[in-house]
Amino acid sequence: MPVAVIKTKSELALSEQFQAALPSLPGGPEVATHRRAAIAAFTEFGLPHRRIEDWKYTDLRTAPKDPALPSVDATAKLTVADLIVALGPFMNMDAARIVFVNGHFRAALSNVTGTDTITVTPLSASFDSLSPLSTDAITALNTAFVTDGAVIDIPDGVTLEQPLLVVSLSVGRDARLSTIRNRISVGAGASATIAELYLTLPGSTVDGQTNALTEVTISRGATLTHVKALSEGGRATHLSNWNVSLGAEANYRAFQLSSGVALARNQIGVTFTGEHAKIDVSGTFLGRGSDHIDTTLTVDHAVPHCESRELFAGVLDGHARGIFQGKIIVRPHAQKSDGKMMARALMLSPDAEFDSKPELEIYADDVVCGHGSTAAELDEDLMFYCQSRGIPAAEARALLVKSFIGEAIARVDNEAVRTALEACADAWLAQDQTNSAVT
Amino acid sequence: MLEIKNLHVKLADEDKVILDGLDLVVPKGEVHAIMGPNGSGKSTLAYVLAGRAGYEVTDGDILWNGESLLEMAPDERAAAGVFLAFQYPMEIPGVAGLTFLRTATNAVRKKRGLEELTTPEFMKVVRGKAAALNIDFEMLKRPVNVGFSGGEKKRSEILQMAMLEPSLCVLDETDSGLDIDALKIVSDGVNALRSPDRSMLVITHYQRLLDYIVPDKVHVLARGRIQTTGDKDLAKELEKSGYAGFVDAA
Repeated sequence: MPVAVIKTKSELALSEQFQAALPSLPGGPEVATHRRAAIAAFTEFGLPHRRIEDWKYTDLRTAPKDPALPSVDATAKLTVADLIVALGPFMNMDAARIVFVNGHFRAALSNVTGTDTITVTPLSASFDSLSPLSTDAITALNTAFVTDGAVIDIPDGVTLEQPLLVVSLSVGRDARLSTIRNRISVGAGASATIAELYLTLPGSTVDGQTNALTEVTISRGATLTHVKALSEGGRATHLSNWNVSLGAEANYRAFQLSSGVALARNQIGVTFTGEHAKIDVSGTFLGRGSDHIDTTLTVDHAVPHCESRELFAGVLDGHARGIFQGKIIVRPHAQKSDGKMMARALMLSPDAEFDSKPELEIYADDVVCGHGSTAAELDEDLMFYCQSRGIPAAEARALLVKSFIGEAIARVDNEAVRTALEACADAWLAQDQTNSAVT
Repeated sequence: MLEIKNLHVKLADEDKVILDGLDLVVPKGEVHAIMGPNGSGKSTLAYVLAGRAGYEVTDGDILWNGESLLEMAPDERAAAGVFLAFQYPMEIPGVAGLTFLRTATNAVRKKRGLEELTTPEFMKVVRGKAAALNIDFEMLKRPVNVGFSGGEKKRSEILQMAMLEPSLCVLDETDSGLDIDALKIVSDGVNALRSPDRSMLVITHYQRLLDYIVPDKVHVLARGRIQTTGDKDLAKELEKSGYAGFVDAA
């Protein structure tokens, strides 16, 4: 029996904003058709809520924020000097970059020197290639509102020596919805390191909203290190999807750092399509105050002889809530699959909460799959060890938290990227000490 | 000078008395050994000196150079010159050995009113001291003690000790888990730190260590207090007769 679902204020606002924004959104008539279909699909889905199993811990219907107006133009004034400030620890890296401001490509801020062996273009240059994804409410909203993103094509056999940064900056006094669609394609035997950065220009609103979707295809024998650093400011909302498919003997090393965000939902879906491929999908989530950071991961062993490793380590202080949902699917014929998944939380406050939901769906009989989950306070013996070496309690605490995060970040093999991620984590920790010093 | 007076210690959350009126004096520049059977309170003494939580001092005092240690936090004790070499050194994944050493060294220097070491100064000092202890410098770039052998962990403890320049070194069963070669390296490291300004308390179950680190005095700890005191020959006697006499005595 069909049930009439009452639309929330946010749902209605999103539909209205879509109608208003549509004439200004990029792309030809075909794209506009995709967008209309996507918003219709969204209306059908509604905002996800806790009675949908995958959204049990993250209810967007009750999220306190109204949707921000979509960003449809690129008027914010910005110089390279501003960009350098916003990049923080990533500015010292020898890296190429493609830069988006409030969801729009900025050629003047981008620098793709050293990437002549590959193709890096903004989606806005070839908008009609947009794939009309509407698998759930979040991807539907992405298709409806997307304004730009990076299209990265690494030809067969090419090794990209320096990392490529895909920078998404939130700028301005008013909260805006930035919708980004990236597409990364790594050719057979090719290799690259790509880092997506979601940052806010210091002094801008920290209420920004982002919906980012990245489609990744990794061909036979290729290697991709794929990193995301999220630090958009204290009250930001961030919804993201990584849809990854990898071919035979390919190697995918992914890492996501989430900090400085009020509400984040990071969805990662990886599908093995060829045998003897390997993935390591790891990350760290850092929450305090009433931050809510959700990582929802699905690894699909659709073919035999593949290996998956996941390690997510979170630090939760104040009333922060961390969520890890990890699902490993092993299809009936996917024998010799090898999967290991681990989620850990360091609880710095009695009011913090960690919800961990591992799921193994195994339909083959010759597989090795395991998962684990822990939530613990700081180890008192380690605290004593540090203090006995003269390190004061507050500093010892910071050192041990850093150690906990460091263990996860150590999975990032590119040293420059790893160092920058460590600096991001340090900056997050330092904010705590600043706050403590004030109170 | 270390003066322990009538020290009574129980476990904080149980009614179990561990030290029961312990008296001990270690003058400046001397090395004293504490020997005793398992469960006699040797490690508790080491922990209480360093200020570990979980113990309650119900009576008595510990004076270091005339000042009571009891009210000091562990890091304040370290700044005052106390160093405990752990029986089981802890592993700290994710923190490089050099980072840890530098943080500790500068924290202690700061509290002692000394200038913090700059990176080049620190690196120079640590290279020298690591070489003396036969520690591969590359090892210090790895996380603290993670994946180290028993011998490597103990050498890493002695390196920390050398860096922090304590005036009271407490070595808790430093010989446990060491083969003869490692024992010799660790002992050489400790002996190199012997000085007229530094007191040492060497806690051990076996006499073997005392062949390498020769003490000025040997004390036997049993049933929560010092039962007898002698010179280094007392350790040899114990090796023959065992601790039975002290445990069984009424």
